Amino acid sequence: MNPGVAITALAVVSVATAVIGFYGLRISRTTGDFYVASRTVRPWWNASAIGGEYLSAASFLGVAGLILLSGTDALWFPVGYTAGYLMLLLFVAAPLRRSGAYTIPDFTEARLDSRAVRKVTSLVVVLVGWLYIVPQLQGAALTIRITTGLPSWVGSVAVVVVVCLTVVAGGMRSITFVQAFQYWLKLTALAVPVLFIVFMLAGSGTPELSPPAVNPTGAPPAGLYQGVSLMVALLFGTLGLPHVLVRFYTNPDGQSARRTTLIVLGLLSVFYLFPTACGLVARMFAPDLARSGQADAVVLLLPGKLVGGTAGELLSALVVAGAFAAFLSTTSGLVVSLAGVISQDVLGAGVNGFRLAAVVSAVVPLGFAFLTDSFTLAGSVGLVFAFTASTVCPVLLLGIWWRGLTDAGAIAGMVTGGLLCGGAMITSAVAGAGNTPGWLAQPAAWSVPAAFAVMVVVSLATAGRVPQTMARVMTRLHTPERPLATER
Amino acid sequence: MTRVRVTAPATAARATQESREAALESDVGQVFVRSLIRSQLRLALVVAFGFLLILAAFPLLLATVPGLAEARIAGIPFAWLLLGAGIYPVIGLSAWLYIRTAARNEARYRDLAGDQ
Repeated sequence: MNPGVAITALAVVSVATAVIGFYGLRISRTTGDFYVASRTVRPWWNASAIGGEYLSAASFLGVAGLILLSGTDALWFPVGYTAGYLMLLLFVAAPLRRSGAYTIPDFTEARLDSRAVRKVTSLVVVLVGWLYIVPQLQGAALTIRITTGLPSWVGSVAVVVVVCLTVVAGGMRSITFVQAFQYWLKLTALAVPVLFIVFMLAGSGTPELSPPAVNPTGAPPAGLYQGVSLMVALLFGTLGLPHVLVRFYTNPDGQSARRTTLIVLGLLSVFYLFPTACGLVARMFAPDLARSGQADAVVLLLPGKLVGGTAGELLSALVVAGAFAAFLSTTSGLVVSLAGVISQDVLGAGVNGFRLAAVVSAVVPLGFAFLTDSFTLAGSVGLVFAFTASTVCPVLLLGIWWRGLTDAGAIAGMVTGGLLCGGAMITSAVAGAGNTPGWLAQPAAWSVPAAFAVMVVVSLATAGRVPQTMARVMTRLHTPERPLATER
Repeated sequence: MTRVRVTAPATAARATQESREAALESDVGQVFVRSLIRSQLRLALVVAFGFLLILAAFPLLLATVPGLAEARIAGIPFAWLLLGAGIYPVIGLSAWLYIRTAARNEARYRDLAGDQ
C-alpha cells in the first residue's frame, strides 16, 4: 500500500478526533462534566458512543483475522461480544444506573459500605483497563507497520498522544461526541469496502476459488471446552468492563439505560456482519493471507489485494481510518474510566487530578505494549474478558441481586478470581501457546464459578457483616425513578 | 489541593428521592421492594436461559441434520448464515421482550407502592 495514503488517513482521523474533542471542551467546565457529561446525553448519542467505545481493535481487525484462520469456530467471537451486551442489559444496566455511582469502585463501596472493598475493586478495575489498552496499542503498531512501513512504536505512541490530548482537554462530554462519531466512522470504513468487494465479486461472476471449509493454516479446530469457556468469558466479561459501565451513568434514568442498551445491541449486530463477511471473503478468495502470519491485518490488506488500482488505494485508506478510530475510541474510553478511578482514589477528585490520572492511565500500558509481543488480537482480548468475568462480574451480579453479600465475601471472591485467572494467563504466557493445555489457555470456565463460589461461601460465613444500609441501597437499585413531571 | 466530593447537585428531585427511600424502609414497603426484585431477577434468568438454549441449539442443529451445514444459499454456506447473521435477531428479540416486561413489572410496583 502507498504509505502516503495511509498516513493521510491517519492524520485526518486524529485531527477530526481532536477537533470534536475541543468542541466539547467549550461545554464541559465543572468536575461533574468531566466525569459523566452530567448525565444529559440523549439515548441515540449515548448508544452510538457505547458502540464506538466497545468496538475495539479486536472487533475491527481481530474478528476478521480469526475467522480467516479458524472459520466457523471464530464466528462465536462476534456472537459472544454482542450477547455479552444482552447479559449486561438483563442483569446490570438499570440497577447500576439507579445506584447513582460514578465508577465501579463507587458502586461497591456504596453497596457494601466498606473502604476496603473500594480499594480492592479499584485495583482490579485499573488492572482490567491496562490489560485491555495493551492490545489496542499493539493493533495500532501492527497497522502502522503493515500500511506505512514505519517502525511499530510510532503507531502505539500516536494513539497514546491523541488520547491524552482529547481526554485532558475535554473529559467525558467531548469523549461522548468523539465516540459517537467513531462508531459511524468504523461502520462506514468496514461496510463500504466489504460491500464493494462483494458486489465486485458477484458482478464479475468469479467462479468459486476455494470452498470456505478449507483450513488455510492446518491448525486443529478448537475443542468443545475451548468454545464453552470462551462463551463464559465473553458473556460475563462484558458486564464488568469499566469503560462500558461508566457509560450507563450518562443516561437520565434506569429505563433509558435499558433503551440505550437495546439500541447498542442493534448497532453491534449491524457492525459485526461486516467483519464476518470480510473473514468469509478472505477465506474464499485470499486464503494465502493467513499463511504469511498477517491474519490480523486481513481487513487492511483485502481491498488492495482483491480490488487494486486507485479504488483499492482509496478503500484501503478508508479501512486504515476506521482501524485508527477503533484504537482511539476504545483507548480513550478506557483512559477516561481509569482516570476517574485513579484520580478519586489516589490523586484527589479535582479536574487537575483527573488530567494527571488520565496521562498515567495511558502511559503505563504503553510500556507493557513495548515489552510484550502481540499474538492474535481477538484471542488476547478474550483473555481480558476472562479476567473481568472472574473478578468484577461476580461482585456486580451478587451485589445487585443478593442481599447476603458481605465486604469480606466480595474481597475474597475478587482476590480468588483474580489470582486464578491471572495465574493461568501468566503461566500460559510463560509456557508459550504451543505448550499450554486448553484448560489453562482459556481459564474462564473454571475461574468464574470459583470466584462466585468463594464470594458466596465467605459471605455466608460472615453473615453478621451485611451492612446496615443494605435494605436502603437495594431499594434504590431496583425501584423505578418517579416520572420527572411529578417530581417538581 | 483540597479534596472535592463529586456528586450531582442536590436538587428538589434528589430530596424527594431520599424521603421516598426512607418511607420504603417500612415493613410494608420492603415487601413490595422484595417482590419487585424477585420478579425482575426471575425475568432476567428466564430470558438469559431461553437465549442460551437457542444459542446451544444452533450448532446442535448443524451437527445433527445431515447436509444442512454444507447447504448453500446464494453461494454462502448455511452454517455461516446461521452463526454469522441468524443469531443477531434472536439477541435483539430477547432484549426487546425483556425491556417490555421489566417496564411492566415496574409499573405494577409503582401502582402498589403509590397506594400507601
